[in-house]
Amino acid sequence: MNRFLVGAVALALGAVSAAAQSLDDLNIQIHGYATQGFLYTTQNNVFSTNSSNGSPAWDEAVMNVTAQPTDKLRIGVQARYFLLGTFGNSITLDWAAGDYKFNDKFGVRFGKVKTPMGLLNETQDIDPSYIWSLLPQNVYDILSRNSFLAHYGGVVYGSVKAPNSPVKIEYRLFGGQIIESSTDPNIELGQQSSGIALPNGWTGPMWGATLQVKPTPGLLIGASDQVFVTNWTAVATHGSEAGTNGTPPSQNYYYFAKYEKNKYMVAGEYFRQPYSYWYNFPTDPALDSTGRLDQRAWYAMASYKLTDKLTVGAYDTQAFDHQQAFGPSRYNKDWTFSGRYDFNQFLYAKAEQHFIDGAFVDYDTSMNPNGVKPSTKLTILKMGVSF
Amino acid sequence: MKKRMFVFLLVAAAAIFATQAHAQVILIANPSVKASDVAKSDLRDVFTGSASSLKDGSHVNPVLLKQGAAHEEFLSAYIGKNDTAFRATWRSLVFSGQASMPKTLDSEAAMVAFVAANPGAIGYVSKATPHEGVRVLSVR
Repeated sequence: MNRFLVGAVALALGAVSAAAQSLDDLNIQIHGYATQGFLYTTQNNVFSTNSSNGSPAWDEAVMNVTAQPTDKLRIGVQARYFLLGTFGNSITLDWAAGDYKFNDKFGVRFGKVKTPMGLLNETQDIDPSYIWSLLPQNVYDILSRNSFLAHYGGVVYGSVKAPNSPVKIEYRLFGGQIIESSTDPNIELGQQSSGIALPNGWTGPMWGATLQVKPTPGLLIGASDQVFVTNWTAVATHGSEAGTNGTPPSQNYYYFAKYEKNKYMVAGEYFRQPYSYWYNFPTDPALDSTGRLDQRAWYAMASYKLTDKLTVGAYDTQAFDHQQAFGPSRYNKDWTFSGRYDFNQFLYAKAEQHFIDGAFVDYDTSMNPNGVKPSTKLTILKMGVSF
Repeated sequence: MKKRMFVFLLVAAAAIFATQAHAQVILIANPSVKASDVAKSDLRDVFTGSASSLKDGSHVNPVLLKQGAAHEEFLSAYIGKNDTAFRATWRSLVFSGQASMPKTLDSEAAMVAFVAANPGAIGYVSKATPHEGVRVLSVR
């Protein structure tokens, strides 16, 4: 189904190309960006990098090509190269979609599409679009992006404005199939710690909705709900044993708000991810297990434009897994201070300092052979160029 | 009394200059756009990718200047962002597959020519720039 959707988009692009009088008719655009990051931690190597000794193993490059042969129809494809520590180091299809906008109230997008959940899910991997080097990891985990950033399927979207009122309501309905996440670093880390591998990853159907209300210019209030099911597609191997893994229908909830005016921005979000999972080994029932996660996380952030080129900001984020035993593995807290300097409209630099307490997210035990310390400081420097 | 008069004159002068600043840039549209005026909120929605039509149903395509005083003034007066923040808004849409970047032109003369020739096009130039062949829309 996935290859069918992507192929349909490619065929549509070719058909439109053949019918066009000239390239100008297609409004073809090419855009891209690239970033180079550097990480240093005082303790605990993070993101599978050797960050305690300083690590430049964080690269990203993106390029897209879009065509808009009519005012309502747009077709495009975007490829991404991503490297973070030992993860990635490959070129993948970021999205490939056809988009038809009937009017401002109703439009459809299909193919491999970004999933419009929460305040920042659609744009969490677009480094040029925000001040932060790293988004609040408790809500937007960089190592889980493959699973939640995009899906095969579609999005129905639109907005409605109340007559004689500034109030605007935007809706997004989405559904399809979760991307097979065998390459999702967080899935890999999770299985590693439990001594199980998922050679085919996990996937399954998902659907959900996001509603955003803009009661006054600059203010946005919203909520998202996503349901996903993965109870028949994965194969687990434990030593020489083969089994299956899955989850019953589970949900992700997001509640968020953002206000922007002139030089400053404030935003906050609450995220909850309760889900159960199971492992079944028919040839060795002693290996069967069930588990439950109930992650609750939030962040509050603010930024201020000191000058036309310099923006500074800070955020606080906390996450708790209420199913974990008490201790650093149950929580993750992170105070972050950040700055971004735009040399011009193409080139920028970022610097960021994190004060992290807890070990709930993002630690690779194989990179921390002496054990994960309960706190660490993380310094990030980043350069980026976009066009 | 003299002090109050002085402060009043200062405030009045500031208000006049502020009004003058907004009056230096005008909104232009292709003759196919029937509206004679546009709400500031609708204008902001169109130029930030949130909407593609005006309240009267006219489909419009925003056109931008690459840089310059008219561009900076337009962003300040009607969008409420500087150029960096404005382009970041469009980049988030382009790189997430939600929109294409608006047509961007090097000069105000090119802006006038493009808007005049393309149905639905809507842009902005300095008031002093010759603008034959386009409609001027007021912003309310």
